[in-house]
Amino acid sequence: MSVGSLLNAIQDLPLSAAMRGESAGTEWLFPIVETVHVLMLAIVFGSIAMVDLRLVGLTARGSSISRLTDETLPWTWTAWVLSAISGTLLFMSKAVTYFGNFEFRMKFIFMGLAALNMLIFHFGAYRRVSQWDTGVAPTSARVAGALSIAFWVAVIFFGRWIGFTT
Amino acid sequence: MFRPFADWLATTRLSELFQNQLWVVPTSQSIHITSVCLVFTSAIMINLRLLGIGAQGRSISQLCTTLVPWMWGGLCVLLLTGAVQTIAEPVRQFVTPAFWAKMVMILLVAIMTAAFVRKVRTNAARWDAAGTRPASARAFAVSSSLLWILIIVCGRLIGYTWVLYA
Repeated sequence: MSVGSLLNAIQDLPLSAAMRGESAGTEWLFPIVETVHVLMLAIVFGSIAMVDLRLVGLTARGSSISRLTDETLPWTWTAWVLSAISGTLLFMSKAVTYFGNFEFRMKFIFMGLAALNMLIFHFGAYRRVSQWDTGVAPTSARVAGALSIAFWVAVIFFGRWIGFTT
Repeated sequence: MFRPFADWLATTRLSELFQNQLWVVPTSQSIHITSVCLVFTSAIMINLRLLGIGAQGRSISQLCTTLVPWMWGGLCVLLLTGAVQTIAEPVRQFVTPAFWAKMVMILLVAIMTAAFVRKVRTNAARWDAAGTRPASARAFAVSSSLLWILIIVCGRLIGYTWVLYA
């Protein structure tokens, strides 16, 4: 099955039609799902930014980073899963259009970069977090924090521009 | 009653400039959403702490000292970008009930938050002492969280409902 026919098959699902508001009672489905998406992405980026800003040294200086990540990460992941589910539903409504959209592709490239950056941080500087937990983060951790903010802001910007270009 | 004002605003030089530069509104909205992330997550974090659900590792006054400046800074960015969007598309905003509901709720939650922060600051020791939070703190946590959620819902609703009133 080619990508094109797969996208068409997704778009032809009854759920996708409902996301387009094609039948009575589903007219508000897209706005509702999109609002959930916005609420959840706000928690995703907001909670990530708290950790990033601490790493960079712009806020909460002197407080424990491992405690901060312990407190925020469960919320980040929960909200991310709900963002992904609502985002998938939004995608299904116009799968062919979104897949071919430049901003949509850029959004996912930057989300991939953010994930890669997180992995490098997690298996790099964060393994020795006990040495700098309440102090100034090492350069590699500060760079990871700054990159994370930049990547996620790019995700948000491209995400918003999808709505203007599809 | 706001319609004549909105129509006049739309003819001003500044509004025309924003309308003709097609990148202005999407860029402003993207910055708006990024700030929503910081303000909303900060508010939810403080409220979860008040309810005894999250961020238990930090005291309430510590959490307020770290997050409240970001909330006020974020709110300023929200008002600025919101003003840009209103000047660019005045009719869309002023005719829509969701816009006015949003404005009233922002005013309400800002006053509530300022009063709460004042209380915490003037009596930090009592707030940080172990034990149960006063019922008023839990009422603040629940009502301000609901207000923030409704503010975001109304924000999204403006885009979907303004055509019904224009």
